[in-house]
Amino acid sequence: MPVLIAGVGYHHLRDLSVGPALVPRLRRLDWPEGIEIEDLSFGPIAVVQWLEEKPGYYERMVFVSSVERARRRGSIYLYRWPGRLPEAAEIQERIGEAVMGVISLDNLLIISQHFRVLPAEVIVVEVEPEDTGWGLGFTPCIEAALEEVIETVRRAALDGYNG
Amino acid sequence: MCFKNLPIEFDAQGKAHLKENVRDPYSYETRSLDEQADRIKELLARNGHIKSVDFDPVTRVAGALAFHSIVDLKERRVVEANSMATLFRGYEVILKGRDPRDAAFISSRACGVCGGVHSATSALAMEMAFPVKPPPLGIAVRNLMLALEFWYDNPLHLFLLAGPDYSQSIVQLTNPEIWEKAKASDAPRVKIHGFRMISDIMAELNPLSGALYLEGLEMTRVAREAYVNIGAKYPHPETVIPGGMTTTVTITTFNEIFARLRQLFDYCKRTVAIWDDLCDFFYYANPEYKKVGARPANIIDSGIWDDPFAYDASYENCNEWGERRWATPGVIVDGQVVTTKLQALNIGVEEFVEHSYYETWDSPRYTTDPAGNPISPYHMWNKQTKPHPTGQNWREKYSWSTSPRWDRHAMEAECSARLWTTGAANILPHRRFLEPTGASLKMHVPESTLPEMELEWKIPEIWNAFERNRGRAYHLAFTTLVAFDNWLVGMDLLKQGYDQVHTPFETPRKGSQIGAGFWGAGRGYLTHHATIDNGALSNYQILTPSTWNACPRDPWGNPGPYEEAVLNTPILEEFSSPENYKGIDILRTIRSFDPCMPCTTHIHVDGADHVILREVNTCGCGLDE
Repeated sequence: MPVLIAGVGYHHLRDLSVGPALVPRLRRLDWPEGIEIEDLSFGPIAVVQWLEEKPGYYERMVFVSSVERARRRGSIYLYRWPGRLPEAAEIQERIGEAVMGVISLDNLLIISQHFRVLPAEVIVVEVEPEDTGWGLGFTPCIEAALEEVIETVRRAALDGYNG
Repeated sequence: MCFKNLPIEFDAQGKAHLKENVRDPYSYETRSLDEQADRIKELLARNGHIKSVDFDPVTRVAGALAFHSIVDLKERRVVEANSMATLFRGYEVILKGRDPRDAAFISSRACGVCGGVHSATSALAMEMAFPVKPPPLGIAVRNLMLALEFWYDNPLHLFLLAGPDYSQSIVQLTNPEIWEKAKASDAPRVKIHGFRMISDIMAELNPLSGALYLEGLEMTRVAREAYVNIGAKYPHPETVIPGGMTTTVTITTFNEIFARLRQLFDYCKRTVAIWDDLCDFFYYANPEYKKVGARPANIIDSGIWDDPFAYDASYENCNEWGERRWATPGVIVDGQVVTTKLQALNIGVEEFVEHSYYETWDSPRYTTDPAGNPISPYHMWNKQTKPHPTGQNWREKYSWSTSPRWDRHAMEAECSARLWTTGAANILPHRRFLEPTGASLKMHVPESTLPEMELEWKIPEIWNAFERNRGRAYHLAFTTLVAFDNWLVGMDLLKQGYDQVHTPFETPRKGSQIGAGFWGAGRGYLTHHATIDNGALSNYQILTPSTWNACPRDPWGNPGPYEEAVLNTPILEEFSSPENYKGIDILRTIRSFDPCMPCTTHIHVDGADHVILREVNTCGCGLDE
């Protein structure tokens, strides 16, 4: 079954744009059949509706994004999305944000989980940004981490979280 | 005589001029808010039942809105209200110095829901400045796309943002007696919407699980699918530029859109029936609900959807082409339409910053508009945006929103203002599906799965939170019919072989030009005012519906529409102790305006080119009473 690699984030927000910026670079790699690479930065509800068109199609999804969580800048985090949902009120709030244009990895995961469009195995590759202001390109610490991010994504897509 | 406060009168030809012998015609004296603030402070100190209730942020609205209120829980009334736009945006500064052709694409980013309306408004402003007039098919297709955008906006508000306030989960919690009545009340329009009891409607409005909530989410997909056939992507279209559109439209494009249009024929009938039943039920259950969110019907709308054969982009002729729009422009004061002329609407607008985080500006550039009518130093063509987030308290400054006024009245912007001005003025030239009567607007919605239906939106006796929501439901039907009408106009043009959607133009590289885009967003009124000097934008001002609605006090101490509506709202919620008080009546009032804050506030930073570097804390938590 196919595996989806998805970049998520805003464009042109410096280090916060790692997700969408990596999509073309990932596409240039040699991949075996069944690996699909998409920029899912078009809003969580639209993504849910996109995935609803192909129920059960993906065996595994690997999301790549930069997310501010007050960690060491440029560090890479790999984790398996546990699929735990917050309280209903928070889900509702996140849906509200989503339909009003907010793009966020957490919102995407929570909303997709709520609407049950995710496969059993969802892996997230995150990088901690440094500069989150408007502009092109990355700071040196992110630039230096990119090859490892790509390799982490590649391995997660091909071998899964436990691979 | 449409102006009562500004010293403007009109000659026999309808041209405006300042009254003679009026010294300093636009001067004014400010009124201090100290007395009111002192009185509130004393009330709070003396009475345990008077309580400060803050909503920061107000949830289920787009962007950052905080609301501060003082409520008297014994008397069940609101004694003070302050609306705060807590964040600012920088579109004016980003646009300043840019090539005017970039404006439609950059200003679109002012909103993540209705970017296309900013693109269109910007394109109109540039068309006036350059000048360039789009071909008829370009105008019809632009109308069609910008009608489709509201298919996203209106269901979103009715079923995802405001809708939950009327759901079982909220009503049962805040007003159990209303829920009991709902369980015993038949829904009169069951044949249209399919829900037998009012309580069934409320149950299906429940967030996350209710059928109406989920259908509202699904309708965002239908809207986007239709929209991208023309705009290429949503919410920031790639195809709206000065002079028309850049997309190639064919019969296939129109057919793809019609497949979605047919779904809306039924959806809008059901939406109207649901909101008619809900509003009527609340009035029946407790007539006091008529007072929730009530304020005088002082409403402004810039009109929208141009006649493809009349619009010429000029300011000189905007009164004529404006009145040929599908939504008649207009100003309503105390429920009466006082003008439908775009020039009178335009020259009456001023923006004040006494209670906003800005400095005033000097040296107004213009004393008249391009037609020679007088304009105020506080008009958008003169306005400069100078952020100054100091004096943060309820007496001085408390919002990033300015205080726009028309003839110095606090006006409300509303999508249902389009129904009101179009219905009351009764000058609509496009009557294939629409029929103004002077007191209402009849809409003939074609057959789909449900039979053909005549919907009639009647000018309400009282203007309140419920009528805003009801009006928004009817506006969805209005929008659907405007889309269908323009779909038919476009198809007819194509059949006749007129497939041109754009007029080439030259961007002026020398001299000064001036332009204004009069259009509308999902929430109503939207204008962009621009000046161009030697080929670059030298000033750009965006005035949005939520700036009108969310504004703070004006120089005379008069509240903005959110504030005024909340001050008039009785507390009907049931609560056992002050700690259990949720503020649902206040929240219903605020949300009835369909607040959208991302586009409400804009800044210009002197000396900076595009990046705002200052960090300020403008949340309401630290402000003194």
